[in-house]
Amino acid sequence: MRKTNRALTYSLIVIVGFLTICPVMMLFLGSFTEGLGAFGDFTLKKYIKSYSDPALGSIVANTVIFTSGSALLATALAMFLAYLNTRTNIPFKGLFGIVSIVPMMIPHVLFAVSWALLLNPSNGMINLLFKQLLGLTESPLNIYTLQGMILVEALMDFPMAYLIIAPAMSAFDVSLEESSRVCGASNFRTAVRVTFPILRPAILAAITLAVVRSLASFAVPSVIGMPGRNYVLSTHIYRIIATGFAPDYGMAAAVGMSVLATSITLIFLYRYLTSEGEKYVTVSSRGYRPTVIDLKKAKYPLFGIVAFLSFVLIVLPIVVLFYTSLVPYSMVPSTRAFTLMSWKHWIAVMKDPISMLSLKNSLFLGIAGATLGILLSIFVAYVIVKVRTTASGFLESLSFLSFSFPGIVIGIGFMWFFVYTPLYATIWALLIGYIATYLPYGVRPLSSAFIQIHSHLEESSRVCGGGALYTMRRIIIPLLIPGVVSGWIMLTTMFVRELSLSVVLSRPGTEVLAVQILRFAEDGLWGRLSALGIMMIILSTTLVIIASFIGAKLKKVNK
Amino acid sequence: MSLYLVFGLWVPILMEIRIRKLNKDFFSEGKRITALDQVNLNIPANRIFTLLGPSGCGKTTLLRCIVGLETPDKGEILIGDEIVFSQEKNIYLPPEKRRLGMVFQTYAIWPHMNVFDNVAYPLQTRKLPKKEIADKVAETLRFVQLAGFEKRPATKLSGGQQQRVALARALVAEPKVILFDEPLSNLDAKLREETRKELRSFLSRLSITAVYVTHDQIEALSLSDMVAVMRNGRIIEMGTPWDIYFNSDQRFVADFIGRANIIDGKIRSVEKGWAVIESAIGTIVCQSRDEAVPGKSVSVCIRPEFIKLLTEAGGEGRNVFRGKVESLVFVGDIQEGEVRIKETTLSFQVEPTAKIKEGDLINLRFDPTHCSILFN
Repeated sequence: MRKTNRALTYSLIVIVGFLTICPVMMLFLGSFTEGLGAFGDFTLKKYIKSYSDPALGSIVANTVIFTSGSALLATALAMFLAYLNTRTNIPFKGLFGIVSIVPMMIPHVLFAVSWALLLNPSNGMINLLFKQLLGLTESPLNIYTLQGMILVEALMDFPMAYLIIAPAMSAFDVSLEESSRVCGASNFRTAVRVTFPILRPAILAAITLAVVRSLASFAVPSVIGMPGRNYVLSTHIYRIIATGFAPDYGMAAAVGMSVLATSITLIFLYRYLTSEGEKYVTVSSRGYRPTVIDLKKAKYPLFGIVAFLSFVLIVLPIVVLFYTSLVPYSMVPSTRAFTLMSWKHWIAVMKDPISMLSLKNSLFLGIAGATLGILLSIFVAYVIVKVRTTASGFLESLSFLSFSFPGIVIGIGFMWFFVYTPLYATIWALLIGYIATYLPYGVRPLSSAFIQIHSHLEESSRVCGGGALYTMRRIIIPLLIPGVVSGWIMLTTMFVRELSLSVVLSRPGTEVLAVQILRFAEDGLWGRLSALGIMMIILSTTLVIIASFIGAKLKKVNK
Repeated sequence: MSLYLVFGLWVPILMEIRIRKLNKDFFSEGKRITALDQVNLNIPANRIFTLLGPSGCGKTTLLRCIVGLETPDKGEILIGDEIVFSQEKNIYLPPEKRRLGMVFQTYAIWPHMNVFDNVAYPLQTRKLPKKEIADKVAETLRFVQLAGFEKRPATKLSGGQQQRVALARALVAEPKVILFDEPLSNLDAKLREETRKELRSFLSRLSITAVYVTHDQIEALSLSDMVAVMRNGRIIEMGTPWDIYFNSDQRFVADFIGRANIIDGKIRSVEKGWAVIESAIGTIVCQSRDEAVPGKSVSVCIRPEFIKLLTEAGGEGRNVFRGKVESLVFVGDIQEGEVRIKETTLSFQVEPTAKIKEGDLINLRFDPTHCSILFN
């Protein structure tokens, strides 16, 4: 047993090491070469060229403003909602669960597009509405600005910040605050001296993770940033490889190296902060109930804000897309608009071979990628949780590393690798890249499933007369299934909507949905884009429903 | 009771467990740790047998070897007349073939099953007819006083109830032997006491061979018919709880079980079953042992409850000492104190109404029949 475990640990280190270290190494080596496929001659030319670019200064400034602005806004929003949910008597608390989970299901590229449809300066629906109502000649609002980017990115990143802050707030022992009050401190002083410092690790962790996310973000910078010529590092890298006559992968790698270094540093900071945060968790043995603050008259107005936010986050994007897919061109909803509605864009998309190919490819990647990714995750999680040696600790760090990978940067690393293999420009290149980049999302739910399976549960079955296979069938598999299903759902939804890695790795013949949507956005084909976008949402929702259904079935037939 | 058909007669079969020269080493970070060191042990049938010892003494490893979850390196284990492990004969019977019952420290209740399925599991593995399974489960649940809990999700029960589900699961297939691995350590103090009494009554009604592992001496003394004390992978003392408590001649055992004052000394003389020992506090008369010979360095164990406070008048005779009360704490049913005799501080206890206070000079007498000699 010990021997097989050791063999398993080392083979997983090789596989996961290949998936995570290989692209980083290739990126590193590639940044010192002349260009794709030109290994051998060491040169600093690309570094000199990219870091002496006069435009880089403003791009870095934009990136700093964009990432820090959206991270702070997202965290502030998350704190506001977490406080309302855990510490006040706001009605309909169930909504908070929905508002923190559902936006993760809506593909980022579609979310960004729907905001562009509403607020772009030439024919954004809200702008058109204002012009009609107020008789303006100029559009009053413009999403294609740095502020617009910050707003949309923050709305997308806040659920993740919420999921970090809300548990910390609900685990907060109120007696800490009460004792501060008893010691003579005012409400405000208590907040400053006790509440905030105790929550600080969680808040800082949320901000750090939000910065990492927005640094890696490509959907918002491309859909909302590029039309207004507001470039950040991710779009800067994209421009280097995707526009002009000769894509310069060497220069992209040189820029990417510093993005990756920043991201990895921030992730280490995040890990440190979360472990700090655990120190502060005060678990009292008695069941305590946090004192709930009565909002009184502010109850419904505050709930109104939450309801509006949920509407903006969940309902609006889908409604806008669906509406846009039916009207011939951008217009304010009116009786005329309704008479002009048709399935024209839907039919155009279905007749478009590239769109259909991208649908097929994304479906394949969603199913095959998630299945292979989960298989790998099962073994990795098993070794991390159950084997517990120095080597398995190393595997854990290794599998966590890709959590910090910005898709577009790591995609360039993979490009360098795939160009030497027959995998180049095949769907398998995307599949490998996806699994490498999103592995932590599969490992996490399975680790918690394995943690739940205490070795006694297994041993007890053996003593009760169940052989190894019987134990596997009746105890281990049924207990793993919830983890497998939620991990699979996580991976499949991420793979169906994957953009930032695909934008580098996808070649003619291996188009995927998000990339095709980006092409439609660049060409201004909003109707087709919306139709394809809705199809994408339907596809991932169907996969989620099927997975949950199979999971529920498997749980029942464990006898 | 297990009944077996022998020559047309139903007779009870006594399931004794015999362990011969059992060895087990673990390797941890390149170091060899001996968990079991030449263990020889006969566990009597139809008794509650306890393995007692501090953590890391090898008691759980021994239990896991009996049940088959660990494979010893050397030796032999027999359950009844069946060899379940023998290194020489190359026999290893996996746990599922040994037909034992076991209650784990964590209870190991399967969270995805309800109470019925948890308890029915051992019968389901034996592929019994559904009707029979239902009947046996109902009967066992009644026995552990959980009738009517069949459909409850097992993890929604209280700690004590989960413990009884685990017991029911261990008993349902009517095993020859049942094993317990610190089953009470996850319960809070009050519930632990209740459950201990309950367990004792369940087991004594069953006449089953029970092997119980614990580090808690009160559990061991109050629950068992027979106790074996383990240390560093060896069994160092075995006997009835009474023997272990009063008659142990080993310093480790005396110190580990109950509260004990241990005073070093040297035997001066031995006569008529009494040994006279010179010690730092003076001459102590003890019950002698076979190995006690004059001139031997020994220790004397005197438990606090056998130190008697004397009234001022009766201050003469054997084993009477005078000391100063260093501290005295009222704990309800008794007063616990420390007394200094010369340079040695001893624990003692007196009834709550005794009129003494800190700083008093008092006379104490050690009951010679309860002063025991320890060999170091």
